[in-house]
Amino acid sequence: MMRTIEVFLVILIITAAFIISSFFAVLPQPRQVSPLNLRRLALTTLQTLDGNYDLSGTAFKSPNDPAWGGLQIALSACLPPNMVYNLTVYEVLSGGTQLYTSIHSISNAESLGVSSDASSYLVASSNVTFSVVPEKIGERGGGGTLYILNCSDANGWWITGYTAHSLAEDLYNLLSPYFKTTIMIQNTTQLAKILNGTSIQGETLRNATVINTVGEAVPIPSGYYASLGVGYDGSSYARYCHTLGQRVRQYNWTWVSIVGYPLYYVSNTGLFSNEQNTWGIYGMKHVGPAGLNAFLRGLDNQAYSYNTNWITGEPGVVYLSPEALYYCNYYGIYPSPYQTSTRALPDSILTTYHLPQSSVTYIFNKVGNWIPGAVYRHIAAGDNKITGSFFALGLTRTPDIRLTGLGLLCAFKPRLYRSEYTATGTSRLVVLQLGQVGGV
Amino acid sequence: MVFLGAILLFMGLFNQTIQTAILYQRHRSLATKCSDLLDNMLLNPGVPLDWGKSNCTPTGFGLQDPEFTQYRLSSFSLMRLRSSTGEPVYYSKTGLTYSNITMGFGNFLLVPYTKAIDYPTASSLLGTNGTYGFQLTIAPIITVSISETQPKNPLKISVTVTGQGFPLSNALVSYCFLTVSLTGGEGSYPAYTIKYGNTTTDEKGSVSPPLEFAEVNDDKVCYAFIAYAHLSGLMGVGYHERVTSSKQYIIPFIDDLAMRRVLIAHSYDVHDFGPPNAELSYNATFVLLTEDFTLREMPIENSTGKVNYGVGNPYDAVTIPTYNPGILIITYRKSAVEGGVVLMPWGISSMAFPVTFGDETLGREWVATDIRQVLINNIAYQAKLALWSLQGYQVIG
Repeated sequence: MMRTIEVFLVILIITAAFIISSFFAVLPQPRQVSPLNLRRLALTTLQTLDGNYDLSGTAFKSPNDPAWGGLQIALSACLPPNMVYNLTVYEVLSGGTQLYTSIHSISNAESLGVSSDASSYLVASSNVTFSVVPEKIGERGGGGTLYILNCSDANGWWITGYTAHSLAEDLYNLLSPYFKTTIMIQNTTQLAKILNGTSIQGETLRNATVINTVGEAVPIPSGYYASLGVGYDGSSYARYCHTLGQRVRQYNWTWVSIVGYPLYYVSNTGLFSNEQNTWGIYGMKHVGPAGLNAFLRGLDNQAYSYNTNWITGEPGVVYLSPEALYYCNYYGIYPSPYQTSTRALPDSILTTYHLPQSSVTYIFNKVGNWIPGAVYRHIAAGDNKITGSFFALGLTRTPDIRLTGLGLLCAFKPRLYRSEYTATGTSRLVVLQLGQVGGV
Repeated sequence: MVFLGAILLFMGLFNQTIQTAILYQRHRSLATKCSDLLDNMLLNPGVPLDWGKSNCTPTGFGLQDPEFTQYRLSSFSLMRLRSSTGEPVYYSKTGLTYSNITMGFGNFLLVPYTKAIDYPTASSLLGTNGTYGFQLTIAPIITVSISETQPKNPLKISVTVTGQGFPLSNALVSYCFLTVSLTGGEGSYPAYTIKYGNTTTDEKGSVSPPLEFAEVNDDKVCYAFIAYAHLSGLMGVGYHERVTSSKQYIIPFIDDLAMRRVLIAHSYDVHDFGPPNAELSYNATFVLLTEDFTLREMPIENSTGKVNYGVGNPYDAVTIPTYNPGILIITYRKSAVEGGVVLMPWGISSMAFPVTFGDETLGREWVATDIRQVLINNIAYQAKLALWSLQGYQVIG
C-alpha cells in the first residue's frame, strides 16, 4: 500500500516537473526558425538605390524635394510586397555629445510588424571634393628634379601621332605634382648646360630624372658634345651616347626612354640640317644599336667601343607586372594592362653592365629572357650605392606616356596623403529598417 | 512495474519536446547556412577573376563582378550558368547542345554546354556537393512591359513599368526603335533605321499617351523596340519585336566567349517546319547602354551575310566588338515582304534576362530561402537562394 502511494507520489512529482519545465521551455516562433536576413536585405537595397549615386543625391535634398517621392516609389518597387520599411536620413554631427540628428524619414506603415532589422549606409554629398596631396620625390634622400626634354631644335622618331612638345606637356601635367621641381629643357643649348653640371634655375641637378620625349632619337647639343672624342668618334655619334651614359652615372640621373630602341638616332635640326635618318626625317642622324651599347658602357664606366650588335627582342604581347598593376590603382593611372613589345632588352645586360636583378623595378612581366619595360639601377662592382638609373620601355610605337608616368612612380613610390572623409556637413547616415507583415 | 511505466511516461513527454527543439535548431542552422552561401556566391568573383569572359572552367565559384565591390554581379559569369528551366537546344551543325534562356520569340541566349557551368561543378566548387542542394534565381526587379496597341498609321506602342507589385511612376524611359527595310531587291541584305528617344511614365507607371511612330504605315513593317526605365537608382529593361517571317528566322548561338564570337544559324537547322525553305540574308548591329541612360550603336565587322538550311550550307559568325554588355540586333530578310529581327543579350543584364540555376526545389523536406538586392551592370536584380539538406531529416549544422 505504502509503495503504491510512493509510486503515485513519484508520478505526481515527475508530471509536475514536466509541466513546470515545459512552461519555461518556450519554443521559438515559426518565423524565427527560418528567417529572411533582413539586415542584409536592407543593406543591399540601399546599395542598389545608390548604384548611380541617386540615393546620395536625394539624401542631401530638402524634405520637400520631389526626389524623395521618387525614392519612396523605388523603395516600394524593389522590396517584396509583404515588407514594411522605414528609411531615415541623419545628419552626421561633430564636436558635440550628439552624433546624429534626424533630417527626414519615409515609411510605408505605422509599425514594423512582428520582426524587423535595420542596416545603415553612409552617403557623401556630391559637392564634396576630396583632395590628394602627393609626397614630392626628393623630399626624402635629395634630388627631386624632373627634366623633360622639350628641345625645339630636335626632331622625334617613333612618336607617331604626337609631337615631342605635346608629349612633354602631358608628362608635365602628369608628373610635376610628384617632383619638387620640374623643368622643361627647351633646346639643346639648355641640355648641354645640364650635361655640364650647371643648373637652369637653381634646381638640384644631382639625382634628377631626365625624360627623353623624342622617342628613339636623342637630342644632341652642337659644339662640345658633338665634337670628336666627346660626341663623335670619327664615324658615328654613338660616342655621344657613351658620354650621356657617363653623365647619368656621374650625376646619378634616371634616364628615361619612352618607346622603341633607345638612342637609335641623334637629333639636332641645326647640326644635321642636311642629314636625314635614312627614313627621310632631316635634322637627324642614324646611330643604330651602337648608341644603346655605348650608353650602357658609359653608365657602367667602361671604355667606349663601337658595337653595332642588335640586342633587343620581340616578345610580342606583354603584361603589366603585379607591382605596376598595384600602383595603377594607387596613383589612379590606368593604361591598357597589355601592350606590344618589339624592343625588349635582354636580361644579359643585368650582369654585363652591373644592373643587379634585385634592384630592378619591373613594369612589365619578363617574357623568357626579354625585359619589355623596367627601371634598371646601376650599382658598380664592389659598391652598394646606386650610380645612375635607366628606364627603358621597349614597346612599339606609338608611346603611351601614362606608362612612363606609371613606371617612374613605381620606381620612386611617392606617397599620397588623402583628405579626411568625414568632414562636417558632407556625410549623411541613411538607416533602412525592414519588417515583415503577416502572421507569426 | 508501475515505476517503470512512470519512467517511460516521463521520457516520452520530454523526448517529444527535445526532438522538436532540436529540429527547430537545425532548420535555423540551415537558414544561416543559406544566408552565408548566398553571400559567398555574390561577394566573390571566383577563380580566375574573369572566368565569365573566358571559356575556362573556374576553379572557384563566384558571381561578383571583378571590377566592383559589394553586391554587383558579372553579367558574363551569369551568362555561363547552365539554365535549369529552359529546354536545351541541339544544333546539328556544331554537334553541340546549348543551354537555353529564351524569353519568347526572337529573344535568344544560347550558350553551349561545353562552355556553360553546370550545377554539379558549381556545387563541388562551393563545397556543398552531397551535403546541400540549392537553386539560385536571379530575376530583374523592374518589369518593363511593352505591347502594340495600334499596328499602323501610326504604330502605337504602350510601355508600362512596374516593380514588385508596385508601379514605377515618373520613371525616365529611354528607348531604341529599329525598323527593318526589306525592299532592297532580290538577294539584298535587310537595311534598318534606328531612332532613339526619351519619355516618362505617369502615376500608374505607364507611358501615356502611348508612343506613336508615324513612319510605320504598314502592319508588315518589322521592328524591334527596346526600352530602359530608370528611377532613383532602379533600372529595368523591356523589349518587343514584330516579324513577318516567324518560321524561318535567324538564331544566334554563342560560340566562343573569349573571342566574343556568335554563330548565325538558320532556324530550320533547329526547328524544321517543312518546305519550302529559303535562304535568309541578315544584317547585324550592336547597341549598348551609355552612362547617361541612352543607347548607342556600335558597328560590327562583317555584319552582313546569308545563311541557309541543311548540309552544305554552313553557318556564319559575327564578333561582338566589346565586352561591355549590350544587345546584338540581327535583322533578317527572307523575301521582299517577309523578314524580321531577333535580339540576343551580350551579358544577361542588357535585356534583363532572368537566370535559374541549380536543382529542383519541388519535394524537398525543408527549404530555407534568402534574398539580396544586386546590381548587374546597373540593372536592378533580386538574387534568391533556396537551400535544403541532402542528408535527410537529420539536417546537419
